[in-house]
Amino acid sequence: MSDATLATSEETAALADVPLLVSESVPASLISMRDIWKTYQMGSEEVHALHGVSFEVQKGEYLAIIGPSGSGKSTLMNLIGCLDTPSKGEYWINGKNVSEMDDDELARIRNKEVGFVFQTFNLLARATSLHNVELPLIYSGMGSGERHEKAKQALASVDLTDRMMHKPNELSGGQRQRVAIARALVNHPSILLADEPTGALDTHTSTDIMNLFEKLHAEGNTIIVVTHEPDIAARAHRVISIRDGMIEKDDRLK
Amino acid sequence: MQAEDTADGDAKTLKLPGTRSDSAEPHPTSSPQSTKTKPPSRRRSLAGSALWESFRVAISSLRANKLRAGLTLIGIIVGVSAVIAVVTIIKGLDQTVASTFSSQGSTVFSISKRPQIITSREDFLRFNKRKDVTDEDWDAIARLCTSCWRTGLTANVPRETVKHGDQKSDEVTIQAITISMFDINAVNLDAGRYFSDSEYAAGREAAVVGPDILENLFGGAPPDSVIGKDVRIAGHAFEIIGVAEKKGKIFGFSRDNLIYIPYTSFERIYGARKSLVVFIQAASAEQLTEVQDQVRAIMRNRRGRTFRDTDDGFALETQDVFLDLYGKATSNIYIVTIGVAAISLVVGGIVVMNIMLVSVTERTREIGIRKAVGARQTDILRQFLIEAVTVTSIGGAIGVLTGFGLAYLISMAMGFPLLLSINSALLGVGVSSLVGIISGLWPAWRAARLHPIDALRAE
Repeated sequence: MSDATLATSEETAALADVPLLVSESVPASLISMRDIWKTYQMGSEEVHALHGVSFEVQKGEYLAIIGPSGSGKSTLMNLIGCLDTPSKGEYWINGKNVSEMDDDELARIRNKEVGFVFQTFNLLARATSLHNVELPLIYSGMGSGERHEKAKQALASVDLTDRMMHKPNELSGGQRQRVAIARALVNHPSILLADEPTGALDTHTSTDIMNLFEKLHAEGNTIIVVTHEPDIAARAHRVISIRDGMIEKDDRLK
Repeated sequence: MQAEDTADGDAKTLKLPGTRSDSAEPHPTSSPQSTKTKPPSRRRSLAGSALWESFRVAISSLRANKLRAGLTLIGIIVGVSAVIAVVTIIKGLDQTVASTFSSQGSTVFSISKRPQIITSREDFLRFNKRKDVTDEDWDAIARLCTSCWRTGLTANVPRETVKHGDQKSDEVTIQAITISMFDINAVNLDAGRYFSDSEYAAGREAAVVGPDILENLFGGAPPDSVIGKDVRIAGHAFEIIGVAEKKGKIFGFSRDNLIYIPYTSFERIYGARKSLVVFIQAASAEQLTEVQDQVRAIMRNRRGRTFRDTDDGFALETQDVFLDLYGKATSNIYIVTIGVAAISLVVGGIVVMNIMLVSVTERTREIGIRKAVGARQTDILRQFLIEAVTVTSIGGAIGVLTGFGLAYLISMAMGFPLLLSINSALLGVGVSSLVGIISGLWPAWRAARLHPIDALRAE
């Protein structure tokens, strides 16, 4: 009964009528991958991009996923980011089973739970920084006043208050990536998922961005960086190495 | 201890480390009710902001591709303006025709041997066997019809060549009439006077001429100057005692190339062998049916018809027969014309679809980005639909204006009234928006169905 004391009486009451099986399968971790397979049909041949990957990520972790090209790390990133669903296995994010979801439910998870940072920034070219950052809030149905406020806060947190009305082509690469990070954070997602975030940046700017990640981690954000560069991965507190669609190593550095 | 076990299990679940501020709400997986109730509220609030976002994106993407937007607009403008112009011109024509044929007003009807419009040879032969309508019939109607306001007699003379000095004019309509017909036909004079009773009784050769006669025989002399001059009709010299007001043209045929002469003089010159037309006017449109019934009864009696005979033995008609004929003759032409104009609208729709497909292909990356940050299929679908509808409804609005402009020019050139209707303007914009929806649907659906990974990978 010692465990039960952790739950408030209200929560216990709310969950009391839930069948035992379901509640047992809900993982405690923020991210839980259980025997994930991803199979592509290439003509008549089946190609396994992932063979039975399993791992857990706790809230507040700073994780790097590293592997050479063709290792399956991009496939894994797409699955973590809910851009795709696994062929087999269970994926839970923040207590929600994503593996069974349809397109629109996945869109909602991407909107609420995942903040993407891409190698090529992927900002809307014709929109201002502010509008780019507002985009996730638009799709979560927030009113324009609150949206502006939140987007401004997010831009301020990446030191871009003076660049709110600039369009991407008026910004440097580092500034663009910071806009993208502000966009990723604006909806307070469960995870910040970065795919080669410094791949298109020079060394100096890369360092800035990685320092920003460290700061965000220190503020309590859960960060997952997918990369093939060992020195980027070395900034993380935990590194999962992928090779041939399987986890080769799972090291805790810090 | 089942309950305690459950509580234990739940407690483990609740040790979620990754709880954020908003995950204090009931667990979506463990509480099915919350997953059911949440989406509708999101959708409702989404409608406004996402709709505005869609509209904003539509405008900015149109601005970004001005040439393309312009070409699309032209496609729609041509279609809509063609339809609007055609519809407006048709309305103007209809109005002209209706006002022309109803110049006698809706209180006048006629009694004649044959109807004015005969559609078959059998009918023609049957009507030919009927008795002629004579001045005796007119006398009887005038005498017996108590509810008639005015009655008159007209003999239609074949077109004649008329002369003055060495000037001559062909194909002039000669109407041999009783004096009352000036009132019934609402003939106004620019100069001179109508026939006097004594002139009529004596069968004098007096003439009231239409303005075209002045033009053709007197070199465009002013109306006053021709009073007292003579015109020769079928070898007889008629004195001009009046000049009628101009009535204008219809379909290029002048209604002013005519001469009114007293029926009595006509009878003297041509003899009384032709079938005549009796015109009857009721005092008001409300009395028309009653007057018609009375006249029909009088005439059936004179033709010896009982109530068992289906055929009257004469034709009782209002001027509506012309309008009916006009309507029948032109409605098919209108449908074809509007149809042809509508084809250009269809072509415009295809242009829009083509441009939207290009736009979707070009903006695949953008679609990917939007999907990555949480846009659902319906969001993307709506965005592209709104974009298509925005272009087509702007095009529709411009098309309506252009169409009215075209109709204005054509109606000026052809001399009939311009009837601009709000309905056709609304219809123009409505139809073009519909074209936008229809032609935008497929491209939008393709955009919505794009897989986010593929879309993000696109160049």
